Amino acid sequence: MSDSEESAFSEEEEEEEEEEEDDEEEEREYGHFKKRPRSEFIQDEAEETDDEEDEYEEEEHDFVKMTSGPRDKGVYDERDVTGARNLMLKTILTEENEDEVEAYLKQKYASAPSASVEEMEEQPREIIQQSLLPGVKDPNLWTVKCRIGTEKETVMTLMRKFITLQTTDTPLLIKSATAVEGLHGYIYVESYKQQHVKQAIEDIGNLAMGKWNQMMVPVNEMTDVLRVVKDSASRNLRQGSWVRIKRGIYRDDIAQVDYVDTSRNKVVLKMLPRVDYTSKKGALKGTDDDANRKRRKSRPPAKLFDPEAIRELGGLISYDGDFLVFEGNHFRNGFMYKQFGMNAIIFEGVKPTLGELEKFEATPEEVEVEVSGSAIGAAGLEPGDLVEVCEGDLMHLQGSVISIDGNNVTVLPKHEDLRDPLEFNISELRKFFQVGDHVKVIAGRHEGETGLVVRIENNLAIIFVDLTMHELKVRPRDLQLCLEKSSGVDTSGHFQLGDLVMLDQQTVGVITRMEKEVFKVLTQHGKEQSVKQHSVQLRKTRAVALDSHQNSISAKDIVRVVKGTHIGKQGEVKHVYKGYVFIHARNVMENGGVIVTRSKDLELAGSTSNAQALTGFQSPRLASPSPHRGGGRGRGGRGGGGGGGRFNTRDTSLIGKTVKIIQGPYKGYVGIVKDCTDSTARVELHTKCQTINVDKTRLSVITGQESAGMMSSWGRTPQFGAATPAYGNMTPLPGGGGRTPLYGSMTPSHSGDGGRTPSYNNPGYMTPSHDPSRTPLHGGSAWDPSITNTPARTDEWTNYGSAPSPSGTYANPATPGSVQYDNPSTPSAYIADSPQSNSSSHYGSHYSARTPMYSSDYKYTPSPTNYNPMTPGSNLEYSPRTPGSPLDTGDLGFPPDIEVMVKDLYHDSSLAGKVGVIKSAVGGRVSVYLYDDGQDVDIPMSFLTHVPPMKGDKIKCIKGVHTGNTGYLMNIDEGDGIVKLDSDGSLKIITLNELAKLVTRT
Amino acid sequence: MFFHIPLEHEILLHPRYFGPNLLETVKKKLFTEVEGTCTGKHGFVIAVTTIDNIGLGMLQTGRGVALYPVKYKAIVFRPFKGEVLDALVIQVNKLGLFTQIGPLTCFISRHSIPPEMEFDPNSTPHCYRTSESDVLIQEGNYLRVRIVGTRVDANDIFAVGSLMEDYLGLIS
Repeated sequence: MSDSEESAFSEEEEEEEEEEEDDEEEEREYGHFKKRPRSEFIQDEAEETDDEEDEYEEEEHDFVKMTSGPRDKGVYDERDVTGARNLMLKTILTEENEDEVEAYLKQKYASAPSASVEEMEEQPREIIQQSLLPGVKDPNLWTVKCRIGTEKETVMTLMRKFITLQTTDTPLLIKSATAVEGLHGYIYVESYKQQHVKQAIEDIGNLAMGKWNQMMVPVNEMTDVLRVVKDSASRNLRQGSWVRIKRGIYRDDIAQVDYVDTSRNKVVLKMLPRVDYTSKKGALKGTDDDANRKRRKSRPPAKLFDPEAIRELGGLISYDGDFLVFEGNHFRNGFMYKQFGMNAIIFEGVKPTLGELEKFEATPEEVEVEVSGSAIGAAGLEPGDLVEVCEGDLMHLQGSVISIDGNNVTVLPKHEDLRDPLEFNISELRKFFQVGDHVKVIAGRHEGETGLVVRIENNLAIIFVDLTMHELKVRPRDLQLCLEKSSGVDTSGHFQLGDLVMLDQQTVGVITRMEKEVFKVLTQHGKEQSVKQHSVQLRKTRAVALDSHQNSISAKDIVRVVKGTHIGKQGEVKHVYKGYVFIHARNVMENGGVIVTRSKDLELAGSTSNAQALTGFQSPRLASPSPHRGGGRGRGGRGGGGGGGRFNTRDTSLIGKTVKIIQGPYKGYVGIVKDCTDSTARVELHTKCQTINVDKTRLSVITGQESAGMMSSWGRTPQFGAATPAYGNMTPLPGGGGRTPLYGSMTPSHSGDGGRTPSYNNPGYMTPSHDPSRTPLHGGSAWDPSITNTPARTDEWTNYGSAPSPSGTYANPATPGSVQYDNPSTPSAYIADSPQSNSSSHYGSHYSARTPMYSSDYKYTPSPTNYNPMTPGSNLEYSPRTPGSPLDTGDLGFPPDIEVMVKDLYHDSSLAGKVGVIKSAVGGRVSVYLYDDGQDVDIPMSFLTHVPPMKGDKIKCIKGVHTGNTGYLMNIDEGDGIVKLDSDGSLKIITLNELAKLVTRT
Repeated sequence: MFFHIPLEHEILLHPRYFGPNLLETVKKKLFTEVEGTCTGKHGFVIAVTTIDNIGLGMLQTGRGVALYPVKYKAIVFRPFKGEVLDALVIQVNKLGLFTQIGPLTCFISRHSIPPEMEFDPNSTPHCYRTSESDVLIQEGNYLRVRIVGTRVDANDIFAVGSLMEDYLGLIS
């Protein structure tokens, strides 16, 4: 505060001095960094002294303030009617305006007892500013012509002149002088009268040309004079923004702003030069001038500057720093840096094309940010949004949007001192988010996704997406606060997140992420791919697969990965596709938590207990190793009763074995198993130097002792000698011709041995022996190779092995061999199938003969009479079938070629009592050639009975130790027959029950 | 934050339980149905402390089951923005740390982990460590975390946390 003023007050208002002083100190504090306190004073009818002080400050110390607004000064000076500038005048003024001063002070301290400068300060700027607008009472602005380029200098001169003259008798009466940035050739002078202006500019050389003619700025345009900087479009021009050239050879060319010189209204642009490389340069110039002139019409192409080419043309290139200079133009890195006037360029709404961008080697993404930053304004802002002021005085002020009207946004500031809504231009605002906000993406590529903000960077928010647990980078303007979790992005059309889709015939995948029109798909090969929505097909499957323990797994099962890259992970099965399983694992981040594995690498959660339970359920009989079941596949494994335990490790049991392929294109090939999985084996073929993958069910082991029993069917008879121990038990009575009939009925299962899955014939066999819950699977897929993989199998074998006398029951049937080996009267079914392989087929039939014994509950259970003698150690289960039990109970004593009679019970009474010969027996039905009718009739076994042989008949033993043997009934002695066996010619006494009349076919 | 608050729940009881131990069954059912659940409003129900009142069972028309309104008090855990909690690191990956605060899953983005701690993908198990390796965060460690945001769903709460403050981080 100036001394003069203090003294003035001390004279007049002694009492109030202190208060005044305080007040003014306060005022000064504010005055130093803000204009607002000044404004406040002004609004309260500022006293002259304040104005004066400001005036002094401005004019003495701060030239820049000269430009800071004539309207402000105008307001002050409004009361400064006398134009007082010095002490003398001030004294006069205070005297003259005594009343006014008093009134002012009174008003000030009375009406605003709080004297709250702060409170005043918080008044909305707009209102304050309104009161500041110049009116008709304010001094006018006059434009004065000035020598171009000397505007600022001239204003300085004026100021000096003002200072010099202010204490004289003839002070300058102008209020201010202003040189506006960017306005060339004019300055503004503020005064009440034109005469004052003329007086002031007199004798100033630079203003000589404006001496005669000064133009007054209309009052309503006065504010515009100094609004230049704010409203000039050039302020939108920043380094890196894109412009186009209006004129010249570069017309419509794209250019990037390198530097903006607002004061000179010029920009330096970086652009592709259009240098004419066709005409000679420098010293060579002019040699073909005419041609040049014509060509000048067409402008040279825009391309990077090529100094070499210029030198070749004789052009001279000089250097300026790291610029090349050629013909007055500066080049760097091939681009031309050239200065343009603002009016020579278009800078609004310029969007470079992709091609142009490529030339500038700017990545499109950067540009996107740039372009959108300037072009997009109102988009995205909605009432209720939290915003932050990013420009101007109130920068960093936060608030919430109340309403939007075009480009004007009303914002309720979130500030303890600002409670009234403020208006902002939309460009001054940006959306505001905090870390931890739950937001939704409302535009762009990731539209619709929701997530939590984990980081806010400059114009970038990083979001942790709810659904897929990955991070996104999004511009804040594309975000919106939201509460709900996204659901929009997880469906698109009829696709859903997590759906199984077909990419092509071979490839399927699970949708792990959905973007606009594009899916991210994890294929069964574990690769993530982006696919177009319309290029995939939805695939609905209800497939099942088997895990490492042969438990079937399907969608919604919980599994654990026990092998492979994802080992240790656990999750829910989402989809199963041909042995590939898609699992959603909660703790996996990649691919939206979806992993894909082979099913055999999995373990069904809780499967161990499952397997145990299975064992518990199984009755030994049901679980018995019916050849029907195993026939297809693991012959080798089933090889002997003793080998049962090996099934636990049967993955490796095949390795190294010589096998024969029994089905498929390689049928008949023999090879060595090199590697083996649950379902397939790699077989190195003997013949070709080739290793192929073969389904295990198509293999038959042809070496190894334990498989001897099986070998038979493949003609490997010599090995029989080495067959299971039980074999020995079988041999002593090779003449048991009575056994033969047994096999006929078994034939069907023999065919099962030929590689068919066992359940083919008797699906019923399979079902009960498994966990009941699994039934449908097996029943439904008799041919499925996996059928042999049923978990029950392992268990049943173990179980079986632990039975009290397993070997008896089991081994015996498997090794019946030699008895019938030489028997010429092979079962007819066999003969029919493979007449050449009689001997081997025996074994096949034998082998299959085991079946009925175990499944004695079934209709075609073998005759116990035959059975018991063979299995001394057999389970009690079977022993009830004592020898001699009637044949007509549906036993299997109906080998071909024996004579039978149809029982009276048969529904077709026309056939009852008729006699015929068995042609063949399949399943429970027997094809009988009836003598009387001369035709073949199918009759269920249960309705047949044997015709008792008479003396001198050929017979066949159908029960007992001699089963299968044929012979000649020499005599009958009270129910016993004396039989001469064909096999060795020995005489035997056999119960007639065990004998059947054999009819030799002609 | 934990609260001990009165809550209400409705128990549907199958007719087979209509008998001498009916109320016991209702109580048991309440425990199984309520404990461990999460509501967006109250948070995770940790434990039922007292059962204040079991209302009269109302048979449901046509269904045979009875509906018992139960009033009980329970300790609930409701995480709040700004709360500082101790968390167990469950998983470490390049995105950040997944931690468990009792029943609450809390994700700490790598952006919220002090920049000097870097993800080390080569170590097993994966970890975040400073270049001098003097601080190492891996699975099984306990962290002190400030919750910077929560996402509240109908039946789950998910939180994001931050370690970017003094006194936050590994608790040794």
